[in-house]
Amino acid sequence: MNTPSTFRQYVTLLKKDLRQEFRTREMLTSMGIYALLVIIVYGAALALTARGIDIAHMGGGLLWVLIVFTSLLGLGRSFAHEKEQGCLEGILLVPLDRSVVYLAKATANILFMLAVEVIAVPLFYFFFMTGEPAAPTLPAIVVPLLVGTVGMAGIGTMLSTITINTGSKDVLLAVLFIPIIYPLLYACVTATTAAITGTEFWTDFYVMPLVLACGYDIVMLLVCWVLYDFVVSA
Amino acid sequence: MNAVEVRGLTKAFGTRKAVDDVTFDLPEGAFLSIFGPNGAGKTTLLRVLSTLARPSGGEATICGIDLREDADKARGLIGMISHSPMLYPDLTAEENLMLYAELYGVENPRARVGELLDAVGLAHRRLDQVRTFSRGMTQRVSIARALVHDPRVVFLDEPYSGLDPHAVEIFDQLIQSAREDRTFIMVSHDLAKGYGMCTHALVMARGRVVTFAPKDELDFESFATLYRETVGMGVA
Amino acid sequence: MEKARKKVTAPEAGQWPDKVLLPALVAGAVLTTVGFLMAFLYAAPVNGAALSTPQLVGDNMVTNQQLLSQKIFYFHMPVAIVSFVALILAVYYGIRFLMTREARFDTCSRAAMEVALLFVIFTMVTGDLWTRFEWGVWWTWEPRLTTYLILMLIVIAYFVLRNAVDDPERRATYSGVISIIALVDVPICFMITRLIPSSIHPVVTREGGMAPDMALTVALIMVGMLLVAFALYRLRFRQLRLAERMQALKDQLED
Repeated sequence: MNTPSTFRQYVTLLKKDLRQEFRTREMLTSMGIYALLVIIVYGAALALTARGIDIAHMGGGLLWVLIVFTSLLGLGRSFAHEKEQGCLEGILLVPLDRSVVYLAKATANILFMLAVEVIAVPLFYFFFMTGEPAAPTLPAIVVPLLVGTVGMAGIGTMLSTITINTGSKDVLLAVLFIPIIYPLLYACVTATTAAITGTEFWTDFYVMPLVLACGYDIVMLLVCWVLYDFVVSA
Repeated sequence: MNAVEVRGLTKAFGTRKAVDDVTFDLPEGAFLSIFGPNGAGKTTLLRVLSTLARPSGGEATICGIDLREDADKARGLIGMISHSPMLYPDLTAEENLMLYAELYGVENPRARVGELLDAVGLAHRRLDQVRTFSRGMTQRVSIARALVHDPRVVFLDEPYSGLDPHAVEIFDQLIQSAREDRTFIMVSHDLAKGYGMCTHALVMARGRVVTFAPKDELDFESFATLYRETVGMGVA
Repeated sequence: MEKARKKVTAPEAGQWPDKVLLPALVAGAVLTTVGFLMAFLYAAPVNGAALSTPQLVGDNMVTNQQLLSQKIFYFHMPVAIVSFVALILAVYYGIRFLMTREARFDTCSRAAMEVALLFVIFTMVTGDLWTRFEWGVWWTWEPRLTTYLILMLIVIAYFVLRNAVDDPERRATYSGVISIIALVDVPICFMITRLIPSSIHPVVTREGGMAPDMALTVALIMVGMLLVAFALYRLRFRQLRLAERMQALKDQLED
């Protein structure tokens, strides 16, 4: 028996998560429906003001509210299967680097969140933003969406590993998650809004926040990667 | 060489000692049953020996490998069957075993998994999700999972919980056939069952070892009396 | 192969810091009070916006608004700094815990975090009064305010987490990890809210340095607050530690 490479173990774990999800479609359906529900709530909330407000300036923020709450739902579920039958312990009994478990789970969460965004963002556009001609810079929202998703999934994977062992897991996840990702959220909302409005100096509000958001991602993912061993072995 | 050597092993947090200065040697091929009342530290001892928890003092080696120095190497020699099956309910029996086989880096995993599913008598159900299995069948897949990388030492943590008598019988047969030259360490509440299977017995109370002896030095009656006296509780 | 593991020396109730605890508390209280009086009686008032017509205040003719609210600054800055010192202490002990798995470091970390929470709340209150009187609004999403709000929320979340975990070792580990994440997150939060150009919220910068009388007053209050914080931390630690020891004795009696 020769221990497989770290990369092979990573792929094996990731494949396991994806296969499980394809079979049950549990996370994707619940996150997708939840995203749609948030859009409907927006519809009611903005019913009287929909024509009055400057949707281009609010759209970025509303979109990120949608993403934050939808990903909270998915992240909360992401360790439920591991805990249910003691699977996480089974994985920890295998000789493998603990950070592989983290990276595989974080990757799976990134993929699920991106999959939901692929549906939710066009829906959001369809319901709220078709009233006015789109700015030519609109496609640039892809980058902040990607950077934000990576950071949120990274932090969220860490936090849901912690909260899965507590009594009130979903509430606690939100209580920890939202303040910690606040800086990332702030940067991503700014960059997204800049891309949606596409005004003359939009790059001023686009490039700098993105650089900072990338910095946040790198620092936070490194911290989580280093600390994951403590959390998962506790 | 002894399969398991434990020297002054302690697992403490603050002033609470879950495992307190445990020392014993277990020869290869032995079957150790650990007895003790709730909260005696049996499960914690098992978790420390299976590298799931870090010891706070003392030493333990599995087949000569120090658990603190080289936990990953020790992990390759350990298998664990617990009351929770450690199987993904939405994956099939085969997929579950393949997952573990690939993580452990078993050579020719598909053949090994097929062989194990045959051995636990579930080859015909290999493409069914574990979710659809009865408790007894799930526990049989769990045996196959624990043996997939051919471990030298196998830990059993309350493996009988939730099994009906028939399933217990099958489980015992499978464990017996898996004995070969492997070493087993079992934690169970069932005094008669634990005594029946073991070659060595260890009684714990409040984290400490009360008795450790090969079985041939103890007959069941005197053992039960000893257990009752030392632990101060009736036979479970 | 017996390897000598370095014995970890952990803080314990009854060590030397407890002897200086009471003097520190008294000295801290005295210094803070002196500073308080100085802030109003000694430090020169700071001029605010120019008045349309000169007015007679006391015996002086003044041409600017005299800012009484500026006195908040003498307390606001020291408590803010003390809160951060306490946070760093909590994280330091959190890291020590993760490295040594010695339960007492977790107790230290927890006590320090409690002091940090107290001073973060002081900071928020004094800061908010300042915001109200200086800027005329109760709340603005200014970088420092936002960062402190986030810090306060994370510290509160830290205690919510502590309450939700039953196993003491697990609780200690999670707490240590979250405290480290908090310490990394807070500066990033400040940087991001500060550096991102915003059309709505002006970045407020203080002009000039401090006059010597101001600096002296601030320094006195700061030392006083630090001493008070230290005394509070040590008192709390001692109390928690003694409670732990009592629990251990009770457990022993039961055996």
